[in-house]
Amino acid sequence: MADVILKTSKLNKTYFGKVDTPVLFDLDLQILRGSFTALIGPSGSGKSTLLNCLGLLDPQTSGEIDFDGRLISAQNVNDLAGFRNAHIGFIFQFHYLLPEYTAYENILLPCWIRGGRPAPETGREALRIMEHIGIEKLKNKYIAELSGGQQQRVSIARALINRPKLIFADEPTGNLDRESGHAVLDLMAELNRENNVTMVMVTHDRDVALRADYIYELVDGRICKFLDVKKMGKTATAAAIESRTCLIEEP
Amino acid sequence: MKGKKNRYEWMIALRFLIKGKGQTLLIVLGIAVGVAVQFFLASLIGGLQISLIGNTVGSSPHIRILPADRIAKALSSSKTPSDSGRVLYDERTEIYSWQQYVHDLKKDPRILHAAPAANGSGFIERGVSLIPVFVKGLSDADGLAIYKIKDKIVAGIPELVSDSALLGKSIADRLTLAIGDKFYLRNDRGDQVFLRVGGIFDLGAAAGNELVVMSMDRVRSFFTIEGVSVIEVQVADVFRAEKIAREYGRRYERVKIESWQEKNRELLTALRSQSSSSITIQFFVIISISLGIASVLAIAAVQKQRQLGILKAMGTTNRSASKIFVIQGFLLGSAGSLLGMAFGLLLAYGFISGTEVTFGLEINARTLLTPIILALLASVIASTIPARRAAKLSPIEVIRNG
Ligand SMILES: Nc1ncnc2c1ncn2[C@@H]1O[C@H](COP(=O)(O)OP(=O)(O)OP(=O)(O)O)[C@@H](O)[C@H]1O
Ligand SMILES: [Mg+2]
Repeated sequence: MADVILKTSKLNKTYFGKVDTPVLFDLDLQILRGSFTALIGPSGSGKSTLLNCLGLLDPQTSGEIDFDGRLISAQNVNDLAGFRNAHIGFIFQFHYLLPEYTAYENILLPCWIRGGRPAPETGREALRIMEHIGIEKLKNKYIAELSGGQQQRVSIARALINRPKLIFADEPTGNLDRESGHAVLDLMAELNRENNVTMVMVTHDRDVALRADYIYELVDGRICKFLDVKKMGKTATAAAIESRTCLIEEP
Repeated sequence: MKGKKNRYEWMIALRFLIKGKGQTLLIVLGIAVGVAVQFFLASLIGGLQISLIGNTVGSSPHIRILPADRIAKALSSSKTPSDSGRVLYDERTEIYSWQQYVHDLKKDPRILHAAPAANGSGFIERGVSLIPVFVKGLSDADGLAIYKIKDKIVAGIPELVSDSALLGKSIADRLTLAIGDKFYLRNDRGDQVFLRVGGIFDLGAAAGNELVVMSMDRVRSFFTIEGVSVIEVQVADVFRAEKIAREYGRRYERVKIESWQEKNRELLTALRSQSSSSITIQFFVIISISLGIASVLAIAAVQKQRQLGILKAMGTTNRSASKIFVIQGFLLGSAGSLLGMAFGLLLAYGFISGTEVTFGLEINARTLLTPIILALLASVIASTIPARRAAKLSPIEVIRNG
């Protein structure tokens, strides 16, 4: 039996406004521990919405999320703040770093939120991560002084610092040129492999998706395809992504 | 996650303030000016009032007990034994049983001094000059203490010896009398007595310096007063004089009692309206400080939406988000008050050393702490507006809109 870290059942999300916009429809999906899962689909299909629900940033309208044993039904996002801090890391298309702080300080912010002034070991851990991802020289630079790729690496380091169970990334390379995009992806793949961090990444890039273990394709708020890349092989997966018909393979 | 108290909100609040230098400086200066103005105003008005009251009652009786016939009041026929237990005489033009009154008054812990005095008016003759004077006979240490003769003496010895007199400064100046000089004092019946100048005092007020002070017994015999003219009382708290006077007025039925307040209504009214106008000014200063803080922090809250959203995504609770702003308000208020205090003291110092004033500033715990406490309260209350906004912000709004 596969080790499932995140599981949804009948997940629905509707944005309420002047007109109500239903976005996600009865989604059932599973994320395996330690896996790298890509989330693809056309623009507007609900990928970001799904990621924000899974990341407990936005409460679902109905349905349940089983987050490694903790059942989360539609509830106050505020009640989950501590849980997010401890177990979830985020990387977004934009860096979402605080301009008031240096790179190093930004990386340590989740630790501050978790338990006040970080212990010296935590500081050393932050430096180790920075070194590992090649930004140790940027330690004392403010965010505005960094390039997009550097900013994204700082975000990655920040997402890692609290050793979360899950990292959610929404088009983390969307704003980067090809080269730095690849560097960031290599880094994330490496972290996934080495540290056994579970990663869920939204991407538009077919090549990026092919680097994942599993691919979910979303169309109009429904799961259209589930692809096991290793089992199918890259060529078959690539062909499946191209195909217009939905095919669901039970994981 | 529990255990040690997490104070990261302070760290963030402080960083936001430090990084928003211009805004922070502006608002701190605003608070500082407000606090300085309040402090200075309160000390100035306090000092002015204390000096005015000091000039009025500092070296004079607060309560005077006078013979009853000075007011048109029918004598009560029943001899109630309320005046000091027993009544020997009706106190018509003089107070005869003054010893009982003084004895009784001295038992009251609120009363500092109670002393009889004999008053008379006469003339001083020296060479060809003849000037009218008011003669005051004081009894003992208490009598001298009420007029603070010991402190106010400018020459000679503050003692009441039988053949000498203490002169007010303006009399001495006018008659060019010095210590040891002799002069004649005449009463209105033409009797005269030869006296030596034993001391010269300066009471500050013009009226006081027209006095000739002698021993009470000498005045009584010279002016043929059988009792005393007045019993003079000084109390510890000048503002309670009227209340104390009224109390004794109910007990002593055969004499008339008046307090300094009754004789200085206009002064008191002026002081009161001065105080209330200063409170009004302080009130509006507080209002403007609060509005300033509220608006600057509200702008800051809008500017920091993105940061707050990110912090919330990383696990900051609504409560902590609010706290970040309340702490900012508190820090601004503290920095502003401290700076304001420095400004205020500087202003006060400059005022005292730069201008020739006859009164000091009243700097005490109240004038120091009131503006600080008010500014702090205003800052914290004003910061609740952005704090509420910060609590309501949902992280997804920021994340979704980039
Ligand atoms: N706050 C909102 N209110 C109403 N509708 C919304 C809101 N946010 C998103 N939507 C709608 O939900 C749908 C899904 O949006 P979402 O951002 O999840 O798409 P996406 O798959 O991430 O697209 P893209 O690839 O362009 O990022 C869209 O049709 C969008 O218009
Ligand atoms: Mg999206």
